Amino acid sequence: MKINIDYIARVEGEGSVKFEIKDGGLRNLKLNIWEPPRFFEGFLVGRKYDEVPDIVSRICGICPVSHMTTSINSLENAMGFNPSQEIKKIRKIMALSQIAASHIVHLYVLALPDYREKDMVVGLNREITRLVKLKEAVNNVTGRIGGRPLHPVSMIAGGFTKVPSRDEVGRVVKQLKRVRADALQTVKMIAKLDYPDLKTNVEFLALKSENNYAINEGTIITGSGLKAGLEEYHRYFSEKEVPYANAKRTVLKGKNPVMVGALARLHIKFDELHPEARKAADMIGFKTGDVNPYHNNIAQAIEIVHCIWECIELLETISHKDTFMTIDVKEGYGSAITEAPRGLLLHEYELNRMGVVKKANIVTPTAYNFLSIEESLKKLVQENIDKPENKLKLLCEMLVRAYDPCFSCSVH
Amino acid sequence: MKKPRLGFFKYSCCAGCEFQVMYFQKHVLETLKNFEFIFARMLLRGGNPHGPFDIALVEGTITEAWQADELKKIREKSTLLFAIGSCAVDGGIPAIKSTMPELDVESKVYADITTIHSIRPHAIDAYIKVDGYIRGCPPGERDLAEALSSVLSDKKPDFINYSVCVECKLKGNVCVLVAYGMPCMGPVTNAGCGALCPSMNRACYACFGPMKQANGPALARKFKMMGLSKEDIKRRFTEFGADTLEFRRALDILED
Repeated sequence: MKINIDYIARVEGEGSVKFEIKDGGLRNLKLNIWEPPRFFEGFLVGRKYDEVPDIVSRICGICPVSHMTTSINSLENAMGFNPSQEIKKIRKIMALSQIAASHIVHLYVLALPDYREKDMVVGLNREITRLVKLKEAVNNVTGRIGGRPLHPVSMIAGGFTKVPSRDEVGRVVKQLKRVRADALQTVKMIAKLDYPDLKTNVEFLALKSENNYAINEGTIITGSGLKAGLEEYHRYFSEKEVPYANAKRTVLKGKNPVMVGALARLHIKFDELHPEARKAADMIGFKTGDVNPYHNNIAQAIEIVHCIWECIELLETISHKDTFMTIDVKEGYGSAITEAPRGLLLHEYELNRMGVVKKANIVTPTAYNFLSIEESLKKLVQENIDKPENKLKLLCEMLVRAYDPCFSCSVH
Repeated sequence: MKKPRLGFFKYSCCAGCEFQVMYFQKHVLETLKNFEFIFARMLLRGGNPHGPFDIALVEGTITEAWQADELKKIREKSTLLFAIGSCAVDGGIPAIKSTMPELDVESKVYADITTIHSIRPHAIDAYIKVDGYIRGCPPGERDLAEALSSVLSDKKPDFINYSVCVECKLKGNVCVLVAYGMPCMGPVTNAGCGALCPSMNRACYACFGPMKQANGPALARKFKMMGLSKEDIKRRFTEFGADTLEFRRALDILED
């Protein structure tokens, strides 16, 4: 019997899952990412450093801030520029607010309907009301600083073209404080959903740094204890083309398939979470080392709490000093890796002496997760092979959605 | 009243437009309540891609042949069809590819291009007739609300059709082009963003695409007088709108 999920709905971008069941066994399972390529790494060559962040932000409609920040860090590295602490702080606020926004939408609009036996969120009125309230509060942070929440404009190499006034920041903080209860409510709701059982052999991967929950910089740490600095990246990771997908597949050489994203982050750096988020995790009995990918949803809910609380604290200490610095354009190579909402994101560039891109490389979270999504799907199908086709299809879709893949990003 | 049937289709893009429609803050409840969602991949499991639709929203650039085929079918099944977002409206960012030899671009990304089936990137109106353009990247909320409410009230939508300069004047902004010498694309760019970049102390980079009948060559000449290099001017006019006549014409003056 051939099973074909033509397109996976309620994810970003386009992909399908195909497999065969023959003599009671599973064969040929493929995650076919047919999202058409746009060739960012190709046409970035010849573009100047100051337009790169605006261009790469269009890779993704949900995590534009991550692509902008990662490209900016990487370009600044290439030109030997060190941003001020204040610039780094505001970039972190932007990242946190966007991670929260992305998780909120994923949980409520993309994931939740499955667990309530619906095809879409319409009809879940109480949840929609909470979604809108939360989304508006976190989008306001991104929007107030960036000019707009989607494809913001104030973030450029060198810092920020404008920073909101004290009054404006005050209003944003006030609104964030008002949705704290909604964030905790979200954790409770998401924890109560009935998740399918699945244990996988994935290698968790996340950024870690001392004394804070690493987002925009840090060392790559794996669940089995491997440590990799940015300069050793290509020694440990390789990216391969896949004949049946437009996305490339990134693997950690000699290790199990890797998983990046909220669940991986909680596993690697639970202790660095904001105390309120740890409290929320305790409240629902979340334990690190949980290897059920469906529980990525729960991890995301806990991270929403972290993001909102940390955003409030950072916003309250924002100043207007040193938020923009001039860059000396020069030749060089630079790379940067950050935590996008869905996991690790790498950008690397080579610039000529005019600041024009000679070479560009981008590795997105879904490229890291590609192999482990396939492996988890195989395990899931094998364990549920007797289930009726419709049920099996739904389980597969729910699993893919739990990873919160972004196929648009993965192909770019 | 029967709810209008809505179909949402995505081609080569970031999916940000669908994101914007489903979640744009102030109107999300009205949108979800007043339309019957027939097909919208990011929102709805299942759904019927064959229509018919009272309103179809199409985002993304056309970069593969099957997309053009499907698009023509959607057009036949839709009473109203709007292009949404810069990619669908005028090619947007993916059209940068058309400024270079395409084989070069493709082989910079893939070692094996035998499985790649890209065609030259174009806006959707290169293939079908479009009833209106919801411009912007991300699409402007005012035009989006205008499109959706015009369907509900059965009237012809009235989209913004003037340049970013008008919005700057309305906001009382100091002109960043004249006063600070920034290479601002505002004079030739369609409004709808609320003059966002100039309000944030930077030059407009034309993410809403060219205003119809904009005088691209005049602005390119101004940039040249300001001392911008040929390459820099070319980049300003091809970031958004590499596939548009208005911006391509501006590049002609660089030839002499």
